[in-house]
Amino acid sequence: MGALLRRYRSVVPYLLLAPGIAWLFVFYLYPAIQMFITSFWSGSLEQGYTFSLSNWTNYTTALSRYQDQFIRSIFFAGGATILTFLISFPLAYTIAFRGGRYKNLLLFLVVAPFFTSFLLRVISWGTILGDDGLLLGPLKSAGLVGEDVRILATPIAVISGIAYNFLPFMTLPIYVSLEKIDRRLLEAGQDLYATPVSTFRKITLPLALPGMFAGTLLTFIPAMGDYVNAELLGQTPNTKMIGNVIQSRFLAVNDYPTAAALSFILMAGILVAVAVYARILGTEELMNATI
Amino acid sequence: MSEQNPSLLSRAMTRRRMLQGSALAGVAAFLAACGTAAQSTAPSAAPSAAASTAPSVGASASPVLSPTPVPSPAAVLNFANWPLYIDQDTSNPPKSPTLDEFTKKYGTKVNYKESINDNEQFFGTIQPVLQAGQDTGWDLIVMTDWMAARIITLGWTETIDTGNAPNFVANENDGYKGLSWDPNNDKRAPWQSGMTGLGFDSKVAGNVTATASMWQNDPRWTGKVWMLTEMRDTVGLTMLKLGLDPATATQANCDAAIAEIKKATDAGIVRSFLGNEYKQKLISGDLVLGFAWSGDIIQAQLEKSTLKFNIPTEGGMLWTDNMLIPKGAQHKYTAELMINWVYDPKIAAQIAAYVQYVSPVKGCAEELAKNPDKTVSVLAKNPLMFPDSATLAQTHIFAALSETDATYFNNAFQGVSGQ
Repeated sequence: MGALLRRYRSVVPYLLLAPGIAWLFVFYLYPAIQMFITSFWSGSLEQGYTFSLSNWTNYTTALSRYQDQFIRSIFFAGGATILTFLISFPLAYTIAFRGGRYKNLLLFLVVAPFFTSFLLRVISWGTILGDDGLLLGPLKSAGLVGEDVRILATPIAVISGIAYNFLPFMTLPIYVSLEKIDRRLLEAGQDLYATPVSTFRKITLPLALPGMFAGTLLTFIPAMGDYVNAELLGQTPNTKMIGNVIQSRFLAVNDYPTAAALSFILMAGILVAVAVYARILGTEELMNATI
Repeated sequence: MSEQNPSLLSRAMTRRRMLQGSALAGVAAFLAACGTAAQSTAPSAAPSAAASTAPSVGASASPVLSPTPVPSPAAVLNFANWPLYIDQDTSNPPKSPTLDEFTKKYGTKVNYKESINDNEQFFGTIQPVLQAGQDTGWDLIVMTDWMAARIITLGWTETIDTGNAPNFVANENDGYKGLSWDPNNDKRAPWQSGMTGLGFDSKVAGNVTATASMWQNDPRWTGKVWMLTEMRDTVGLTMLKLGLDPATATQANCDAAIAEIKKATDAGIVRSFLGNEYKQKLISGDLVLGFAWSGDIIQAQLEKSTLKFNIPTEGGMLWTDNMLIPKGAQHKYTAELMINWVYDPKIAAQIAAYVQYVSPVKGCAEELAKNPDKTVSVLAKNPLMFPDSATLAQTHIFAALSETDATYFNNAFQGVSGQ
């Protein structure tokens, strides 16, 4: 056996890669191709669909008709990413540098809510943010906010819902990159008379960059396509995101070509945004920072 | 999406869900009965179907005119329905007396699944299979009128051999017969019907009787009004508010209704477009007034007694869910036996007592009234379960839209509801 393996050593990496590649092919590449073809269809469920390259207009019509929802998605996902970052960074920093022996417990607490079903958590937020719910109910009876103030069915509800749901995706990568910073570098900084602020700025922050990069991507990309929060916490026409449109195009209207085109626009848009983002942050710097 | 919040599903909530699904459906049924029927009916069809079978009203399943030897019931029947849309043994919830008794009588195990949460979505799962000419795996499915009409028009249903379902022939309420999309009454069998009208909390809103109230800026409900995501309900009720007849809806009518809906959303009076979730929010007080399904409110009253349902003075919508046997079904004969079974008034009453919708079965009210349990027998007098002709005269059905029109209506509606 050992001899056999040695003989075919060059094959081993491919064998190890095979399951992953097969997975990507079956569950990503094939559906993506299928979807791409669908986006060039015209017709309807009853009469059947026909493929034609001239149906590229599906893309332009989809984009112009749903630009509001696209822009709103960028705004919501961006807002949620910033909010998550503002909460996560101090949290991860505290756990990594001040957590001491409670480190693991604290990390567990970050993840603990996620042992409950995603849907249940979003619905619970609906109850908490309700017009007379846990948050607004007491405030209203204390007369601190007006009777007609509401959070549900506003962008605030959707953005906070997304921020809450993606918190661990931001916290954990940042924590990992902070955690593995060599403490001797910080000591060296202090020894060289750097102020705590400049140690943080010159050492901690650059070294945490890969975690921040990963965290923002892990938050922003799925948040762009999210539709559950907008559906359950937003619920008004003015808080619908592009995910809601795609869902209803596919399942409610059976307008497969538009839905497919929208999915592709979303995918392409995210790819471009990520490329630009990586460029700005500087991939090389990232690599260096990792090393 | 709306259909998947398993978390908070109290029993009542799930039932509402079922409602939601069925919301669009069955309108057609009762209209004929109250003389306002707008669809082009084939009047000859129903009587002939009735005449061809001996009107044996009992539960006997023996086919009267079937010339071929009687097939035997299959070992299993695959039945897809909406959640909580059949009676359940309250002490042993998933068990249904109706299904258990069926098994006892015919030896058929009923593989009853609550797989249908949404017409379009369920259709999406069977459509490719049917298109490929294959068996869907279901012997009986329950679809709302407009979707049933679509599937029947596509030729994707088996014809019900009414000889195997004499109860259906004898006990189907006349109002359901002779639809344009099922002129011979043998493509579908109505399961339950219901009405869409105004649901509200009378403690906050008082007694709301007109749909027009939902366009009035009133501190009691501004920002706490909802509409349904079901296009045919919301657009239909809005058309009625405008004095238009949903049974003859045109694209111009649709534009008018959409513009009207937009007024209410732009004014900030309407807060949300919802499916099944509205009931919970009505109970919690986040919502006060909106379009609702009759059975939902009957259910919700158990949790909040101040909730009320009114058929608006401008008119309400009526819908029906229908049993269909999908093309290529493996156990067609057994499916027909099941249709026959649920059209036995005793069984129909058993189901009605639990689901509290409008039963399409003649004699159901009489059976309910006989029930020794007062809480059950009183249902026989519930106008929302057994609407009288005055109530029915206030209800309307939505037109069977052509494909082009359906796309037009859906697009316009998705636009205004923000999807």
